[in-house]
Amino acid sequence: MTGVPDVLRQLTIVFTEFEGRLEQTPLIRKLTRGRFDLADYQAFLVGLRQQVADGALWMSRAASNIDERHLELRSALMRHAVTEHRDFRLLEGDYVTSGGDLAVIQGAEKNLGSEALSAWMFHEASRPNPFGLLGAMWIIEGLGSIKAAEWGRLVQRRLGLPDEALRFLLYHGENDLEHIKEFEAMLAMVLPDAAVAAKIVKTARVTARLYALQIEEITGD
Amino acid sequence: MNELRDVYITGVGAHLPGSPVPSAAIEDHIGRIGGRDSALGRRALRWNGVETRHYALDAEGRPTTSNAAMCADAVRAALDQAALSPQDLTFLATATTQGDYLVPGHGSNVHGELGGGPLEVASFQSVCGSALMAAKSAWLSVRAGEHDVAAAAASEFSSRWFRPAFYEGSALVDAKGRLRPEADYLRFTLSDGAGAVVMEPSPCPSGLSLKVRFIDLISLADRFDPCMWAGAAPQSRADPLSTWAFAGPVAAHAQGAVALLQDFDLLKRVIRAWVGVYLQKVEAGRIEPAKIDHLLCHYSARSLRAEIEGLLESTAGMIDRDRWFSNLSSVGNVGSASIWVMLEAFLRSGRLSPGQQVLCVVPESGRALVGFMLLEAVE
Repeated sequence: MTGVPDVLRQLTIVFTEFEGRLEQTPLIRKLTRGRFDLADYQAFLVGLRQQVADGALWMSRAASNIDERHLELRSALMRHAVTEHRDFRLLEGDYVTSGGDLAVIQGAEKNLGSEALSAWMFHEASRPNPFGLLGAMWIIEGLGSIKAAEWGRLVQRRLGLPDEALRFLLYHGENDLEHIKEFEAMLAMVLPDAAVAAKIVKTARVTARLYALQIEEITGD
Repeated sequence: MNELRDVYITGVGAHLPGSPVPSAAIEDHIGRIGGRDSALGRRALRWNGVETRHYALDAEGRPTTSNAAMCADAVRAALDQAALSPQDLTFLATATTQGDYLVPGHGSNVHGELGGGPLEVASFQSVCGSALMAAKSAWLSVRAGEHDVAAAAASEFSSRWFRPAFYEGSALVDAKGRLRPEADYLRFTLSDGAGAVVMEPSPCPSGLSLKVRFIDLISLADRFDPCMWAGAAPQSRADPLSTWAFAGPVAAHAQGAVALLQDFDLLKRVIRAWVGVYLQKVEAGRIEPAKIDHLLCHYSARSLRAEIEGLLESTAGMIDRDRWFSNLSSVGNVGSASIWVMLEAFLRSGRLSPGQQVLCVVPESGRALVGFMLLEAVE
């Protein structure tokens, strides 16, 4: 049970459990129950920004710890990091377009969940051959390709904001299938291997739990 | 204590009222809101893949039978197939989304229509998944030695709820006379009928019986609000104190709280959650896709999005398409009755051989529930 399909199955289970946990957070409950206001949206952007800014950094660090026998994976992570390392600017732009002050979002502290998540990511990325982080990528990429656009459309419906205030959420969510194919290819670079498989799934679980904690800690009140 | 007994489905029956109704005639039976054709109907039909269905309303919208009477007919057919009669039945577990009466339970009214003698009844009310709730109750009763002949029956008379009177004069119809899609979609998706199975502690003396290996039901209502519901207006659905009875029937109708509604956005998330539960069963070894000879899924394969299918393939969870059996396109989506109506047609198709495994999957969007039943053919 350590091949690519087995690990993908376990990761899918982790992701659907994660989605269930997100549904129960106060912020997402507000969003799905139509009680989400502009302050909630702005708090959401502020809450996400710090972690998004860190994303490309831990990915780069992870890449720098991948040995020469796994150069393809190293390249893939580096490409990924380059694609995403300016995403937090989009978030800042959305915040300003929605009426927020740039200094506030740039100067905000990480919430408790973001602190834990960020510390965990950098800790893992600092280890030699940190393949477990593929599990973390599955969770975070899944958020981008599945949840972001869903949330973006709900926010837009509730608040009537223009696309320009929702670029971060709306611009994700394309090419779900392509993402999965790319991800399968990355898994195939390190699997089958029982220890690596277990590590990937465990890392996905921890990341999902901490990510949910980050969302739990966001409130617009 | 006695040992638990093996339990077999020895008879399956279905009742579909009237003749098959083609798509073009749907609104003759369920009516037209404000006298106008639905704008959404054709799109809904493309999505759900239903071509013909049955209604217990005639072409003028008049009822031809009741929900309980259809259910009793299906029970009679199932008993007949098992070479038994209503007098042999000692336990009747029923399922429906909405019985003829608000009170008492559907089971009592089905018993009233069925006759026979005094028996134990259990009424399960939910949506599609209630079929398996009733089945589990019947299965466990026979398994525990409480009963030797039990029936699990399910029936729906959805079309009553789709008549214009349910919507006209309510907030569900806008100033231009258009019905909200959350309501209109279901009018073109659900239809009427009934199905039943008989369970006994030994197989039929002749022909194939189906040994019930397990029935698992998983609710995910801890994380989702109602997704398909009636009894609350769309905007206040998550608040139990805003449900219809607090406002009274007249005000509730005006708010749009007395109609069946579906939240499409939520449905997409619920579908992913169903897939997650299914993959958990696969992961745990409870379901082994390669060993499933036939899949009866109360969900059209056609409406599984490409992503979901791709995901099932990537995770070694897909059951080959040539093993899927469905009669959804010809008999329609009959809610809780669907799985029995499908099983009845499947057994008649002659595809089943002794020793083969049949997996029945019954997702219910109501408040995110999914049920699995594994059957094994024995001679």
